[in-house]
Amino acid sequence: MSIKPVFQVLPHSIRDVIQSLPASVLERLEEVRVRQGRPLEIITFKQSWFVSRFAHLSKKPYEAMIPGKEDCLNLLNLISNHSLYTMDEELRQGYVTVEGGHRIGLVGKVVLEGGRVKHLRDITGFNVRIARQVVGVADPLIPCLFGNAKVENVLIISPPQCGKTTLIRDLARHVSRGSQSIPAYKVGIVDERSEIAGCVAGVPQHDVGPRTDVLDGCPKAEGMMMLIRSMSPDVLVVDEIGRKADSEAIHEAIYAGVHLFATVHGQSVREITRRPVLRELFQEKVFTRLVLLSRRRGPGTVEGIYNQFIERLDNKVGRMGTIC
Amino acid sequence: MLKLLGAVLIILTTSWIGFQLATEFRMRPRQIQELRSSLALLKTEIDYGTRPLAEACDRIAEAAGSSLSQLFQKFSRNLRTLDGKSTYECLRLAIESEWRKTAMGKEEKGIILKLCQVLGGSNRSDQLHHLEIAAENLLMEEQKARVEQEKYEKMIKTFGILSGVLLVILMY
Repeated sequence: MSIKPVFQVLPHSIRDVIQSLPASVLERLEEVRVRQGRPLEIITFKQSWFVSRFAHLSKKPYEAMIPGKEDCLNLLNLISNHSLYTMDEELRQGYVTVEGGHRIGLVGKVVLEGGRVKHLRDITGFNVRIARQVVGVADPLIPCLFGNAKVENVLIISPPQCGKTTLIRDLARHVSRGSQSIPAYKVGIVDERSEIAGCVAGVPQHDVGPRTDVLDGCPKAEGMMMLIRSMSPDVLVVDEIGRKADSEAIHEAIYAGVHLFATVHGQSVREITRRPVLRELFQEKVFTRLVLLSRRRGPGTVEGIYNQFIERLDNKVGRMGTIC
Repeated sequence: MLKLLGAVLIILTTSWIGFQLATEFRMRPRQIQELRSSLALLKTEIDYGTRPLAEACDRIAEAAGSSLSQLFQKFSRNLRTLDGKSTYECLRLAIESEWRKTAMGKEEKGIILKLCQVLGGSNRSDQLHHLEIAAENLLMEEQKARVEQEKYEKMIKTFGILSGVLLVILMY
């Protein structure tokens, strides 16, 4: 995935600094954090650094470049394509997806109306998150997840930033494209936070497969029902389930004969099975494959693959190790 | 004979200068009015169309008269091509290069530059509010320009012809 669109939204003052970072750092760059009047920070795999005006990395904040008001205003102009008024909805959500599927989180002063977030103004904090599409991360898991040429209902359990979205995207692409062992299926993605497909103006920026339809920015429960009715998918893909409405929609989908790939935030399988909303789904053995991720050996470390009886499967096929 | 030809040439030249200056006075209120309707169009684009600024400027350029059309075309081009520059900088550069081609003065320029500082940088209702203020200020300038037109347009035309006549008389 190209990092170039990220440079294009940075004002020259910051872009020049980031661009002059060594290639080894750029390759592992995960986040660029810009805060008005405070040191410029970057985050690479497991480490954070302050960046000086001469692109030196340091742990000391006082050596770093301090982006000013002008820089922040300019950054906001570039992110919004000079048209912040087209992004009222995005500002309410607190993030903007730019070309390439990269995501920029925003903080500032929240304007409330009737107790609900109406708008974000005086935006002074930016978190540029670099999306890394890793084609093929799911490949080693495929024999385990689709053993008998049949699509299983997969739940990916993972703490934040362990590669669950990357994995689910690759799974969607894999199923959508088909392979020697499995036929190509119609895939529907409900992308509530524009993370899986990273749509800009409705067009997926990530490769999600040739037979995939994306419902961008739609609440999951509603979106699942919409997709089932409108696009008749064989497989539904949703990120971060956990609300009551989600579980109801999942039931509906399963009854409609649609398969499901979902992710959920969590540290262990045991913890997930105890959650009130998910407990019911587990009792009914809805998910037939569970994948537990961690960051132990880098993002995307597979800790284990389980079946609906919470029996570990991957011991039989040997360790997966790091999938990223 | 040669003298007569010279005299006619002098009168023609000064009259032409007078008419040119008078045209400026006549065009100014008309262009301010055009600018106001362009801003009204921009308001619609922002409110109902929610089009990006560059695209909205393109559409306005299509609808506007020639000199304003160039200004809005330049807005759009700068917004699309000036990589890494802020919105205000893109718009300001366009105004600096295109304003001279219009008949409008520095008061209108000031109003538009002030508007450009906020254009594209806030939410919809705020944008509409700023556009309204700019339109109101432009209306005031337009009225002033009309008064000036009535006062000076004819006078300058006559002054052009008469100054030519005066020069000829002095020369004879």
